[in-house]
Amino acid sequence: MDKTWLYISILASVISIGVAVYLFFWVKRQDPGTEKAQEVASWIREGAQTYLKRLYLALTIVALILGFVIAIVFSFDLAEIASGQAAIQPLDGIRMAVAFIGGALCSAVAGYMGMSIAVEANVRTATAANESISKAFKVSFYAGSVMGLAMVGLAVLGMTLIYLITGSADIILGFSFGASTLALLAKAGGGIYTKTADIAADLVGKVEVGIPEDDPRNPAVVADNVGDNVGDVAGMGADIFDSYVASTVAVMLLASASATMDAKYVMLPLILCTLGIVASLIGIQFVRVGKDGKPGPALNFGTVFTTVIFAGMVVLLVLLSDINIGVLWATLTGLVAGIVIGFTSDYFTSEDRKPVYETARVSDSGAAINIITGFSYGLMSIVPSVIGIAAATLLSYNLAESSGLPGIYGIGVSAVGMLAISGMIVSADAYGPIVDNARGIAEMSGMDSQVIATTDTLDAAGNTAKAITKGFSISAAALTVLALFAAYIEVVTASGVEISLSLKEPIVVAGVFLGAMTPPLFSALTMLSVTHNAFDMIEEIRRQFRERPGILAGTEKPDYATCVDLAAQGALSSLVLPAFLAVGLPLLVGFILGPNALGGFLGGSIFTGVIFALLMANAGGLWDNAKKFIESGQFGGPGSEAHKASVVGDTVGDPFKDTAGPSLNTLITVMSLVSSLFAPLIAAFHLF
Amino acid sequence: MTVHLYLSLVPEALIASMLSPEEFGTYYAVGTEKKSSGQAIFFEVDPKFRSKYLRIPEGIARCVPHEDGTPKSSIYISVYRVLEHVDNSALGQLYLTTQDGRTLGLDATDVIPEMDGGLHLYKEIAPVSPLVASRLAPLDFYDLIVKNPTSLITLPAIAFAELRLDELARDPEMGEVGDLPYKNMDHLRGVLKDLITKPVATKMVDRVSPASISYRTVKNGFYVGNGQKLLYYPMPDKETLRENNYRWWRSANM
Repeated sequence: MDKTWLYISILASVISIGVAVYLFFWVKRQDPGTEKAQEVASWIREGAQTYLKRLYLALTIVALILGFVIAIVFSFDLAEIASGQAAIQPLDGIRMAVAFIGGALCSAVAGYMGMSIAVEANVRTATAANESISKAFKVSFYAGSVMGLAMVGLAVLGMTLIYLITGSADIILGFSFGASTLALLAKAGGGIYTKTADIAADLVGKVEVGIPEDDPRNPAVVADNVGDNVGDVAGMGADIFDSYVASTVAVMLLASASATMDAKYVMLPLILCTLGIVASLIGIQFVRVGKDGKPGPALNFGTVFTTVIFAGMVVLLVLLSDINIGVLWATLTGLVAGIVIGFTSDYFTSEDRKPVYETARVSDSGAAINIITGFSYGLMSIVPSVIGIAAATLLSYNLAESSGLPGIYGIGVSAVGMLAISGMIVSADAYGPIVDNARGIAEMSGMDSQVIATTDTLDAAGNTAKAITKGFSISAAALTVLALFAAYIEVVTASGVEISLSLKEPIVVAGVFLGAMTPPLFSALTMLSVTHNAFDMIEEIRRQFRERPGILAGTEKPDYATCVDLAAQGALSSLVLPAFLAVGLPLLVGFILGPNALGGFLGGSIFTGVIFALLMANAGGLWDNAKKFIESGQFGGPGSEAHKASVVGDTVGDPFKDTAGPSLNTLITVMSLVSSLFAPLIAAFHLF
Repeated sequence: MTVHLYLSLVPEALIASMLSPEEFGTYYAVGTEKKSSGQAIFFEVDPKFRSKYLRIPEGIARCVPHEDGTPKSSIYISVYRVLEHVDNSALGQLYLTTQDGRTLGLDATDVIPEMDGGLHLYKEIAPVSPLVASRLAPLDFYDLIVKNPTSLITLPAIAFAELRLDELARDPEMGEVGDLPYKNMDHLRGVLKDLITKPVATKMVDRVSPASISYRTVKNGFYVGNGQKLLYYPMPDKETLRENNYRWWRSANM
């Protein structure tokens, strides 16, 4: 297997980016609707741009500082640094720094494209909904595909170019670290932003003043709609970009560190990603709303069909080349586990299943019972996913081993297999906030009730896609960090330090505890940021209603911009401490307690990170859907005691599912990457 | 500018205003300088109507534009025993305003709807506002309270709405609870059971029930009568409201 596959990867990624660009302009050519609808859309667009400018400015500063540190550190030959004889090779440092900045840049470009088209597609979807549901679905799904295809295209292009130019998997680690740094800022920042706006808008608008959701009289309504984009388009896109790249690089590192593995196994993850791109490009063409007018089955069909195409291509690859059959088993294991975990997440958050029904049913006994029930089902929802992850880990490990491949390589390949179809997964996920916004625009611009009913149907399918993606991304992140964990051990071992992770050693146990503590602490910090920022925004909304009574009477326009700015400023300034936890804490543990403790630290953080991420994503989704179920007229309907309790549950669940939960994937990935990146340095210099 | 007369049920008052019914509804629910009391339910009254008990001409005379030319929002003519002193024939549309100021107008009809049997739950709106369960259909309930009382309890006029009991109307013990503005379901089931097993026509469910009403819980419409005749203001069904009065329907479902 020569470099041909690398050229094919470049070609596939360029086609993927090309299709994304084509769809971008296709969506822009659609009818943008009435003047009023365009005006409302422009408020959301401007709000999103304000946030992106601030985010990318913050990222530029962080990237330059970290890039500088990386350039300095990697200018030394880290393998020899312990001997004090390390040669200085500035070119190595610069290459790593450039890869780091390239990773952040590619992720930023994909996020920017996704956001830019999402804020154009929302109004066009609402306008198309006036015509037919299938037209509206097409506009919103193709807009989501811009994000999906741009993301996988840029990721594969970046990684392949680096590998082609440098021939080193280590440099791609820098690319991955860059992508993860952006993902951490985008996901946690977007999560804080979106829930700050959502909670503040609901608490004052719905509870205090009594105006419905998406009412243009609410000063926070634009910030709320902007939040859907920054959290679910830019944030989720950056998150999957991060896992996608991290899983690929982990497998490449494992193969390159192995003395027994051929160079083709270093390239193999890139090949799998390329096949995933091709499968996604085909699968996207078959996602259509049929005569039944149901968008949910169309999205699910797209995911399953893409999976089948991808699996078929992997079978052909293995049969027609001399690649070990273990790769096929590991890939299939990852694919099946990803789909199963994704759909079991849906079970716990779906309105027609027992957990949501039961949580809604007991809500007339009060908010406490609603919360206890939802939380309990959230805890229970961990079980199938954890069993799925455990089964995928064991199966891929043993199947790879029995085929003559290192078991840990099999685990990594199963993660890559899961994420290879990210083009399709992200397309379905980014569709959600677009239709959510379309509904908001239809509401705010006074569109026909029929349009609103159509956007409601589209929106419900978006929520299911979102739940599936969350389950998918958490499980993929779990397998990815397991592979990164193994890569960390390989890098430390390659630095001449024998690593021991026995729980008999107190320093390892200390590391495990510290690591286990980090995801809960990170969750607390991000959720406290939401309450703190929401408090400020609530005061601002109250001030506007108080000082300008014409807003509520409908004779005066609220000051949307101040709320948008408050949310953006608050979200980004709240990121300092969580970002330090992700980047600084592993380094502190490593340099102070040593590589064994850091190994324990990573292990502890992976376990609690995965468990907390699953709990928060599923419990939050469950509370949200229990409220929606009651709002559909069940158990007393809107305004009933059951509804009031479910609103409390939903408000508690909001930062669970959209702020802390989804950011945990990125947290554990960033911590694993930082540890692997600085492992040689930590192996050489540590206090204990 | 035209001066309108409005008979508010929450609270009971006669008001002169230069605002149209929709503007008045928003003003009354949302206020201008500060948050007002929320939901409003009011009739438009024929401006030519006069009563010896109410100083209407004086109120209308005071209802003049402000110095800056803006219309006068409200001049209260009376806040006490208004319903009983306004002829049914003077009542125009009934307006239901949500707490965030969306207004829906309903037309009156003389035809009282056919009842499908079972028990009833009435939300009295004015002059008093308890929640009452009854074996009697709306017309009989009105007769009992206003025209032919069989107990000491009587009212000179009444405005009320029937709420949806759904399955509880026929099966108080086992019937599924629908959307009701009352928390203590065991108590409600007990009251409804008493109506079946004991020789009583009506029973109080909640004597301190708020004057406001959840519009979505209304079964079929509003009733108003003051001894002359009972007027019925039918409410469109949910589908019609969603289709034709989406903004109001949405606010009413909060």
